[in-house]
Amino acid sequence: MADLTVSLLGKVLKNPVMNASGTMGYGVEIEPLWNIVKMGAYVTKGLSLKPHHGNPPPRVSEEKCGMINSIGLHNIGIEAFFNIYMPFFKKKNLPVIINFFGFSEDEYVECAKYIKPHSLILALEANLSCPNIKAGGISFGKEPESVYRLIKKIKSVTEIPVIAKLTPEVTDIVSIAIAAYEAGADGLTLINTLPAIHMDTENRNVYIRGGLSGPLLKPIALKAIRDCSEKIPIPIIGVGGITDWEDCVAFFLAGAKAVQVGTATFVDPYAIPKIIEGLRNYMDRKGYSSINNIIRK
Amino acid sequence: MNDLEVEVIKNEKIIKDFFIIEFSLSKPIGAFEPGQFVMIKIPDKSVFLRRPFTIYDVNGNSLFIMYKIKGAGTRLLSKAFKGVKTQILGPLGKGFNLNIPDSCKPVVIAGGIGIAGVHLLIKKLKNIPDIFYGCADEMELRLIDDIKSKTFYTATMDGSYGFKGDVITLFEKHFKNYKKPIHVFACGPLAMYKSFKEKIPPSIHCEVLLEERMACGLGLCFSCVTKTADEKEPYKRVCKEGPVFDIWQILL
Repeated sequence: MADLTVSLLGKVLKNPVMNASGTMGYGVEIEPLWNIVKMGAYVTKGLSLKPHHGNPPPRVSEEKCGMINSIGLHNIGIEAFFNIYMPFFKKKNLPVIINFFGFSEDEYVECAKYIKPHSLILALEANLSCPNIKAGGISFGKEPESVYRLIKKIKSVTEIPVIAKLTPEVTDIVSIAIAAYEAGADGLTLINTLPAIHMDTENRNVYIRGGLSGPLLKPIALKAIRDCSEKIPIPIIGVGGITDWEDCVAFFLAGAKAVQVGTATFVDPYAIPKIIEGLRNYMDRKGYSSINNIIRK
Repeated sequence: MNDLEVEVIKNEKIIKDFFIIEFSLSKPIGAFEPGQFVMIKIPDKSVFLRRPFTIYDVNGNSLFIMYKIKGAGTRLLSKAFKGVKTQILGPLGKGFNLNIPDSCKPVVIAGGIGIAGVHLLIKKLKNIPDIFYGCADEMELRLIDDIKSKTFYTATMDGSYGFKGDVITLFEKHFKNYKKPIHVFACGPLAMYKSFKEKIPPSIHCEVLLEERMACGLGLCFSCVTKTADEKEPYKRVCKEGPVFDIWQILL
């Protein structure tokens, strides 16, 4: 049977499939349906130094081939996550990527400092789509200079590998990725949701302003991954619109070393285990012994 | 909880935009509480996310949902013919509390399609509840045809049957007559809950079933929140901590 293990950021994962941040709650919610240890790693909901209540409803709208969310970074805070939910992942012995954010450079740094290295913590995934309050609310991930400065600061306070999760709403994502790499990022997650709005035609106003996700995003993510992987040697985790194993293969061929599945889980809560099974069948059928046979060199 | 393969057996219009759809389940849905819901994959490719519906009734391997056409999802659901196959995830959420003390009189208040949310509760309550039902007109009383109670109060907005006006105004006229404590279960539009909170004292226990747009139905995405009086964690997931809430804990 095909070997799905992949080495990523110094650790070996049983397969290259994870959830996208914010699409699997705090991890425990999926338990009634399937065992979370099926995944290569769990990615936390975006966590911050202090809890955030998030946005008032409405927080979601449906699009023709996707959805827009405006959760507003609702989370219980880094401390509560470690107290309440980390024991669950320790019991499961499942590697975890801590997705985190701040509204200032200091908040990112303090959050990164709070997280002590642990054999199960694979990486810190910095969500760079967050608005920088001091810079008038423009997101950290929009300019190479601010990405460089922020990643450099985060790297200086932690021993844990740091992944930069980039927003696609930029003029040139490759220059942003290079800035993150030069600042010492150990990996990239490409791409975050695409900023979008939904118009309410009955009430004639903006119903929701948030991030677009779902199958619409796949070709955009593939291009970002392809372009960045040609210029940058650090591993890329691909995310954006993956619905099935064939999408995953496309991401590996584009240059991703691992993938995250998000919105697909809302449509089919078994999407992730089905994708893992589908990948295995594909590899068996093709006679590939290792997932590295399909990951672009 | 299961993601079940289902087949449409019957999809019948009751009146106007109100329907009851019957699905045959590939296997039993398992134990559930009245007020719990399912996420139905609308059998049409143009609908992306699943849609939440309260379980209206279950009979062996048949699952019944009562719904009203409100938007694209329900419109397409109403066109699902016999034999159409789809997926249903459930049972989900936290239902009504059936274990109320015997010393308490159960009272059910429903507005319009809200009857779909309390239909099963009425059947499962140990003591027969008094029922207050409000709807637009006499025709909509067809929605409660199969509900039996000795004490039935009805209100229609147009006055074509029973009390003319809204159901909370009707309830307000009666609740003081109860000699023993009452426990209210309600399902209806937000305006009904707002009116309840304005007109009825907080000493009256009341559980309400909330409706909210959802993406996952499982507590994964935090899309379907409602604001509560909990200052530490004001936004609660309707799909996970609800859909049944204490009316005095939610901020409308």
